Amino acid sequence: MTRDTLSKHAFMWPAFLIVLIVTLFPLIYALTVSFQTVRIVPPMPPEYVGLRNYAEILESGRFWNAIGVTATIVFISVMFQYVIGYALALTLHHNVPGASLYRVAFLLPMFMAPVCVALIARMLFHPVLGPVNEFFTLFGLANIPFLTNPTLAISVLIVIEIWQWTPFVVLLMLAGLQGLPNEVFEAARVDNISTWRRFRDITFPMLLPLSIAVIFIRLIEGFKVIDTIFVLTGGGPGTSTETLTLFAYNEGFKKFNIGMASALSFLFLIVVILFGTVYLAAAQRLTRRYQ
Amino acid sequence: MKKLFLTAALLSSASMAHATCAPDYSGVTLTISTQNGPFIASPLQTAAESWEAKTCGKVDLVEFPFSELYPKFLTAMSQKTGDFDVIGFIPAWLPDFSTFLSSMPTEMQSGPAWEDIHPVYRERLMSWGGEVKSATMDGDMHMLNYRADLFEDADNMAAFKEKYGYDLAAPVTWDQYYDIAEFFTASDAVDYGTAEAYRRGGQQFWYFFSHAASYTNHPDQPGSMFFDPETMDAQINNAGWLKALEDYKRGLDFNPPGALNNGSGDVRPLYAGGSLAMNIDWADSGVMGATEGTIKGNVRTAVLPGSNKIWNSKTNQWDMFDDVVASPFLAFGGWQLAVPADSKNSEAAWSFVQEVTSPEVSGQAIVTGNTGVNPYRFSHYENLENWSSIFTPEEAASYLGAQRASLDAPNVALDLRLPGFFSYTEILEIELSKALSGQVEPQVALDAIAAEWDKLTDDFGRENQLAAYRASMGLPALN
Repeated sequence: MTRDTLSKHAFMWPAFLIVLIVTLFPLIYALTVSFQTVRIVPPMPPEYVGLRNYAEILESGRFWNAIGVTATIVFISVMFQYVIGYALALTLHHNVPGASLYRVAFLLPMFMAPVCVALIARMLFHPVLGPVNEFFTLFGLANIPFLTNPTLAISVLIVIEIWQWTPFVVLLMLAGLQGLPNEVFEAARVDNISTWRRFRDITFPMLLPLSIAVIFIRLIEGFKVIDTIFVLTGGGPGTSTETLTLFAYNEGFKKFNIGMASALSFLFLIVVILFGTVYLAAAQRLTRRYQ
Repeated sequence: MKKLFLTAALLSSASMAHATCAPDYSGVTLTISTQNGPFIASPLQTAAESWEAKTCGKVDLVEFPFSELYPKFLTAMSQKTGDFDVIGFIPAWLPDFSTFLSSMPTEMQSGPAWEDIHPVYRERLMSWGGEVKSATMDGDMHMLNYRADLFEDADNMAAFKEKYGYDLAAPVTWDQYYDIAEFFTASDAVDYGTAEAYRRGGQQFWYFFSHAASYTNHPDQPGSMFFDPETMDAQINNAGWLKALEDYKRGLDFNPPGALNNGSGDVRPLYAGGSLAMNIDWADSGVMGATEGTIKGNVRTAVLPGSNKIWNSKTNQWDMFDDVVASPFLAFGGWQLAVPADSKNSEAAWSFVQEVTSPEVSGQAIVTGNTGVNPYRFSHYENLENWSSIFTPEEAASYLGAQRASLDAPNVALDLRLPGFFSYTEILEIELSKALSGQVEPQVALDAIAAEWDKLTDDFGRENQLAAYRASMGLPALN
C-alpha cells in the first residue's frame, strides 16, 4: 500500500464508520427488533417471532385504514397545494399591486408550528363557538360537527394542510419563475401568443422538473403528518383520521409495543419507497414527453 | 484571642445558617414533573416555595401536556435516565410504573398525618404489590353537580312534578337523571340539561365507567365489573355495559351541541358559566362554580346516580334490588406523587412529597381555585371553616358530604388499574368514539373491545394480569 493510498484510507474510513454508526446502525437495530416481541409495558423478555409482527399488521384493518387516511390526506392536499401555490406564484410573479406585502403574508402560515396551527384550527372549527360555525349559521347550518364527523374531520385536516403548506409551493415556484429566461417570453409576446398558450407551452414545461421536485417533497413530508392530527382529532372519531405515523406513535409510545412499532415503521418505509419509485418513474416519462 | 473570637463567631453564624434549613438540603435541586398548569402544577409550585424556604433546597418544576406524561415518565424511568426526582401521575399508571419506583420511607407510613388520609387512598390506591409506592396529593371521584336555584325554583318544581310525577331533586337513578336533563333542556330556565365528556382523549372513558359502575359493579361479586376475577375474561360486552353505553349515548340529546368534542375541561366552565342544570365531573366543577362562575351560592353536589338492577355476570341475568344501590365510581382516583428509583435525591424527594401532602399545605390547596386539588384527608372533610372562603355553608355541606358519602359507600367502584393500562384504554376509546358517533352499533363496539381486551390479556400473560387485577380490586390471590 503506497503512502497516498494509506492517507486516502485514513481520511475515508472514519467518515465511513461515522455514517455507518449514525445512519445504518439504528436501522439495522430497528429491523432486528421488528422480528421480536419487545414490550416495555408490561415488561416482557424479548422473543424472536420471525415475521409475525408484520403478518399481524398486514392482517389488521387498522393498518389499512391508516394507509387509506394517509393517502387521502396527502394526495388531495398536495394536489390543491400545487394548483393554488402555482397560481399564487404566477400572480406574484406578475407584480400585482402590493405584491411584496402578499409575498410575506402568503408565507406566514408555513412559519407556524403545526401544533399552534392545530390549536387555532380547533378554535376556528369549534361547533358552537367557532367563527366557521358562525358563518355557516348564516345559511341555516348551525353546529356542524367538523371534528367529530369522520368525513368532515378529514376534510378539515386537508384544509389545514393546504393552508399551511401552499406557501411552500408558492416560495419554490416563484423562485423558479424568477429564474426563467425573459427572452423566450418576450419572443412569444412579439409573436402575439396568448397568455394561456405561453403558460401551457413555455412556463409549465420549463418548470416541470421543479414541479416534480416540489410535489415529491410535499408528498414525502405529507406522509409524515402527525402533529396537527394528534392535537386536532387524536385520530378520531374512532380511527377515521388516524394516519400511519400516528398509528406507529400510539403503538410505540402509548402502548410501548416496540416490536410492533418497529415493524410498522419498516412497513411505512416500504410504502414510501414504493410510492416514491412509482412517482419518480411516472415523472420521468412525463418529463420525456415534453423534451 | 481576637482570631479565636472571630472564628467562633463565624462558626456560630454558619451553624445558625444551617439551623434554618431543617432538614438541610442545601445544594440539592429536585426535578419535579407533572401535567401543564395550573391544575396540579400550581399547588406543586406553591409547595415548592415552602419546601425551599424550610430546607434550602431548590425545586425545578417541569410540565408536560397530560397526554405526554405517561410515555415521558415511562421512557425516562425504564431507561434509568434519572431525569425526574418526583413525578405527578394518576393511579391507573401505578401498575406500569411500580417496577421503576422507590417505596415510601417507613417513617412516612405512620403518625397522625398518615392516619388522616382516607383509607380508600391510603390502603388501596397508594400501594401496589404490597408496598406503598406513591402518595395521594388529590382525591378524585366522579360526582353529580347541580344548581340549587333551578332545582329549588317553585315553578320548575311544579312543572317537573306535573310532567314526570315525582319531585324534582338530585337524581338517585340514571333514569331520573335523564328525566331531569330532558326537562331542563326543554325549559327556558337554562340552556341545556347536563354535560359530560365524550371526546376521545378528553377523559371520555371515565365518564362511561361512571355509568357502567351502576349496572355492573355487583355488590355480591366484588371485582367483577371489568373482568371475571376468576378467569380474567373481559366483561365489557355484557348487558350491563350495553345498558351503560346506551345511557351514555342517550345523554348527547341533553348536552350542548358539539358535545362529542367536549373533554372534562369543557364540561367544567359550561356548568360554572350557568349554561347547564347539571353536569358530571370531578370535584373541580364545584370549586369553579363557587369561585369563578355565575352560579355562586347555588353549587350543589350529589353522589352519582345508581340503579336498582345490576347485571349478574355469574348467572347472566339482571338482579333486582329493593332499594337503589349507589355505586359511586372513583374515576381517576386523584393525582399521586412518587419518587423514581433512579432519583439521585431520593431522600429530599420524599421530603418534598411529605411537604406537598401535609395536612397544612394540602389543606390550603383544596380551597384555592385552579389547583385541581380535591379533598382526600379526613381533616379536609371535617374542617368546614376552611371552606368558608369559597363556599356558603350549604354548598360546603353538600360538596363535602357527597365526596365523603361516595368514599364511604359500601358499593364504591374502583377504577381500572392494570399493567398495560394504555393498551386496554386505547381500544376502548377508539370503539367508544365509533359507537358515540354512530359509526357502529353499541353492542358491536363492546364486542370489539372485549375481543381485544381478551387478546391483550393473553399477550401480557393471563395469570399475571389476573393476579394484578385481583390485587387492584382488593381481592386475595387465587391459590
